[in-house]
Amino acid sequence: MFFRLIFRGVRDLFRHPWPQALTLAAVTLTAFLGGLFAMFLHNLETELVRHQGKAQYQIFWKKDAAEQAVAAQWEQLRARPELFELTTFSPDQALSVMQEALGAGADLSWLRGKSPLPFTALATFRIPPDDPDWPKRTFEDLKNLEGVAAVHVNPLQMDLSRSVVEIGRTLLWPTGVFLLLLVALVVGNTVKLSLLARADEVAILRLVGARNWYIRLPLLVGGVTLGLCGAGLALGLLWVLQRSLAEVLNVPPLWIKIAFLPLPHAAALVGAMALVAAAASWVAARDRG
Amino acid sequence: MVRVRNLSFRFGARWVLRNVSFSVGRGGFVFLTGPSGAGKTTLLRILHGALPLQSGQASVAGHELARMKKSRLPALRRDVGVVFQDFKILPGRTVRDNVILPLEVRGMPRQKAARRIMAVLHALKLDALADCPCAELAGGEQQRVAIARAVVTGPRVILADEPTGNLDWDLSLRLLDVFRQFHLHGTSIIMATHNRDIVAAVPEAGILRLSGGEADPGGYDVAEAAGLTGPDGA
Repeated sequence: MFFRLIFRGVRDLFRHPWPQALTLAAVTLTAFLGGLFAMFLHNLETELVRHQGKAQYQIFWKKDAAEQAVAAQWEQLRARPELFELTTFSPDQALSVMQEALGAGADLSWLRGKSPLPFTALATFRIPPDDPDWPKRTFEDLKNLEGVAAVHVNPLQMDLSRSVVEIGRTLLWPTGVFLLLLVALVVGNTVKLSLLARADEVAILRLVGARNWYIRLPLLVGGVTLGLCGAGLALGLLWVLQRSLAEVLNVPPLWIKIAFLPLPHAAALVGAMALVAAAASWVAARDRG
Repeated sequence: MVRVRNLSFRFGARWVLRNVSFSVGRGGFVFLTGPSGAGKTTLLRILHGALPLQSGQASVAGHELARMKKSRLPALRRDVGVVFQDFKILPGRTVRDNVILPLEVRGMPRQKAARRIMAVLHALKLDALADCPCAELAGGEQQRVAIARAVVTGPRVILADEPTGNLDWDLSLRLLDVFRQFHLHGTSIIMATHNRDIVAAVPEAGILRLSGGEADPGGYDVAEAAGLTGPDGA
């Protein structure tokens, strides 16, 4: 009987295909928007954490700097214990990055081999604690390297980074909870509305002596199925969006690569959708005599 | 089997039933008669728990309605077969799927249930329509589906609200025969009708005449239910 009712819950979804399809679309879109926001928060937090306690310097060498000398300086930089990440660009590599940033409209291929751009490096250091002068000292060190033309660093970067981390952390949870409530409200009410199409059926089942669990179990199964399908489709849409946008912001000076939701976040989204849809079905089918 | 004492019911300020009292024994057959608005449907709805008992006492198939919790309603409704004036069938489902519903909620194996419903569908001349969606049936056919669903479980009490309202005379007589079979096997039947020919076609049946709560504001709604009979002499 139990398995028959579970099967019926899934089968009954196809008895009212249009209301269910519209409900699925609403659940999917809501889950998609929720997932999009969660993905934004995740990437924001990743960026904030990445930059927390770090200082980033853009180093430009002179145009006539010798390749071997620059390569040797890169190796010296890599050997520094505070170094977190070093990305280097030869003139041709810098040209390729510029080409990517400008898009297919600007053809710079004719400059290959005679790139006007200098050797460049993007160096990120961990700032040693209890050494407030370290960033300034490092800035001077880098600037004084032989063949270096300019070093760019925002003196407010660290303070700003710390402030943003604090604000982000403070807002993250309340925003997440608000988002969950919003999704719950929209999905819950949509599922409840879709069950109106089956109000007659529920009333008739009650009149022929069906017990509460006999009526509610298939509705619950139907709700969970809708929630799972909607969340699954939303994750699929998010994946497609992430794949197409992953590299869009990965250009100077941002260097932000958009990552997909981590597995626990994705699982939480699916679980939340299923739970909310199940709860909405349960409430919608509550006994009215 | 059905016992009602001093039952009164009102919608807002308007009395629909006042001090109704009667009892129907096992296998008793009673017609509820009276003009439109007399409270026939309301009384039937109270007897199967669709409306609350506001005052008085009522017992149906051993279930005391006055003290009944909501959770006990399914048990009452499993002992009572109901035929509604507006059929209350699922139009998108087939005749077979509609009639099997009460058996399914009781957990009866599908094959056994299928055998039972075919017998009932045959008795009501619905066997050829078993796989038709109810939405494609005529009004009279839909009414027979509702009747088949009410009797398929072999209930202890059948409450029927104008079950012959959409049937021609031949089908009405055939339906009365089906009800008679149940009545002779011990099922108590209360049937609301305003058709005197139907009442006359079952001479052994009792007649309970409702006059409506407004008809006699100062007195009793039902004076007497004449000729209530049953195998046990109730």
